[in-house]
Amino acid sequence: MLPVILEALLKIIFFFILIMGFVVVLIWGERKGSAFIQDRTGPNRASIGGIRLAGLVHPVADVFKLLFKEDVAPSQRHPFLYAFAPWLGMVVAMTTYTVIPFGDFLQIGDKVYPMVVADLEIGMLFVLAISSLATYGIALGGWASNSKYTFLGSMRATAQMVSYEITMGLALMGLFLVFGSLRLTDIVGGQGELIWGWLPKWGVVVQPLGFLLFMGAIYAETNRTPFDMSERDSEIVAGYHTEYSSMKFALFFMAEYAHMVVAAALIATLYFGGYQIPWLPRPVLEGHAGPILTGLLVAGGLCSIWIGTLYFRRARREKGWYNDAREREPGVLGTAAVVGGLVMLGSLLLQPWNIGAGGGSIFVSLIQTGAFIGKLVFFAWLFIWVRWTVPSFRYDQVMHLGWKIMLPAGLVNLVVTALWLAAVHR
Amino acid sequence: METFLFYFCGAVMLLGAVGTVASRSAVSAACWLILSLLGLAGVFAAVAAPFLAVMQVLVYAGAVMVLFLFVIMMLEGPVLEGETRRPRFWVPVAAVVPAAVILIAAVVWVRRAALPGFSSAAPEGFGQPMRMAELLMGKYLFAFELISIVLLVALIGALALGRNERKLPWK
Repeated sequence: MLPVILEALLKIIFFFILIMGFVVVLIWGERKGSAFIQDRTGPNRASIGGIRLAGLVHPVADVFKLLFKEDVAPSQRHPFLYAFAPWLGMVVAMTTYTVIPFGDFLQIGDKVYPMVVADLEIGMLFVLAISSLATYGIALGGWASNSKYTFLGSMRATAQMVSYEITMGLALMGLFLVFGSLRLTDIVGGQGELIWGWLPKWGVVVQPLGFLLFMGAIYAETNRTPFDMSERDSEIVAGYHTEYSSMKFALFFMAEYAHMVVAAALIATLYFGGYQIPWLPRPVLEGHAGPILTGLLVAGGLCSIWIGTLYFRRARREKGWYNDAREREPGVLGTAAVVGGLVMLGSLLLQPWNIGAGGGSIFVSLIQTGAFIGKLVFFAWLFIWVRWTVPSFRYDQVMHLGWKIMLPAGLVNLVVTALWLAAVHR
Repeated sequence: METFLFYFCGAVMLLGAVGTVASRSAVSAACWLILSLLGLAGVFAAVAAPFLAVMQVLVYAGAVMVLFLFVIMMLEGPVLEGETRRPRFWVPVAAVVPAAVILIAAVVWVRRAALPGFSSAAPEGFGQPMRMAELLMGKYLFAFELISIVLLVALIGALALGRNERKLPWK
């Protein structure tokens, strides 16, 4: 019993760190990405001893600001629900992760650890059920603040989330039919195959329409632009969290980004093969673990040293620009990059090409987790990219799209998939 | 572990049910009802029926109650005033006696019928989606389709009742 709990606890901690780390990085990415898209510089002022890390210190400063800010609350609020709502959003976002696999297994010695917290038979239904509770965080938060703007925001969000949940379920049903399981590990495992020997059997390949519908629905579920009905600045101030401040606001804010990470993980898992690397299944990777590791170390080391020299050149160029602690930054970063590169090259002395079967297995597990995180990063970035590129819908357009276009399209997708599968398996 | 979960979730469910009838504001009552439904989902999970548990959360807690809350919030559901009269002596009696009678009757019936009691040993695949699908799409297909027709009729009825009288298509 105890080892099982310990194992689950370690995976939960891994996911917790992954999510919280991503929340910080995504807030930074949102600011820096919007700045990049709008041709601005973006945040670059906060620093620790002159080290600014291109604005990555800002989220840290934000945390302290939000922790020490005065907690202003409306006097006519519902006392319990007002405090409960932000917490609920965060809990829902954190719970969904338990069924998402971040690798197939990790073999240490004779013991095999599946790389998912809880491999439920009902997998994806669990995600849908838990995420359907996310509506309450927004609906109750807006209602409990007892303000017209928050109330409007929560009403809009509720209507939108309820409408798009159906499309999401329908889009997923096609995927369940193709892979014949609700279990996420089965779905990811099925995506490791190849069609006609060259095309990876990813969800997006076998269910292109389903993917588009799911993508649209999940953007609506996370309340991100173009579906940001609940917090449209120009119409209803800040929507459902207008009356929140300090750490309660921060919880709403973090929950939004945590939901984005969940959504990105789900898109990657369901439609883009999860941890699978196309054309490189596990046996092939394990067979060449030594050379791949060696190649990665050499390439990584050389790149790191090259980046370090670039930083040193920048340090020489910027000498005398600021005349304060900021001038230290390129030098420090360059030294770190060069030292990191030398460590990578130095580890060649340990003969990584003789990694052996056990080490190779662990190495492949790490590579696959890396592939999963890489896909996750891309889809998280896509959320930001879309937000700063696409104009958002009007309320009637959201309803029209949801009920009259996406819902029928989902039904068509389901029927076509079922007929096609029936024809193939007859 | 399952036994503890069963009784814990059952207690949560009862607490939610009591809160639902005891709270004065309609929104609070709806929130208590959600808690009660979540407790029921927990009970399902504890008796090895994960599919039912998830469906309970997805359909009742996640969809039906969201619409309930939506409507209550939109229409500003009533907040009842506090009761000023002292409860009569027979009120607790009227509350306890029927509950006790039902409980005793249920226990006696279960004993008499020799139904299999609560055990943690469920048959293979019990409560899993595959098994549920076999039952719904095979053995109980007719009842399943009938229920969907009932729901469709209810939907059309709601639409007909909700429409403006003068704009009815048959007038």
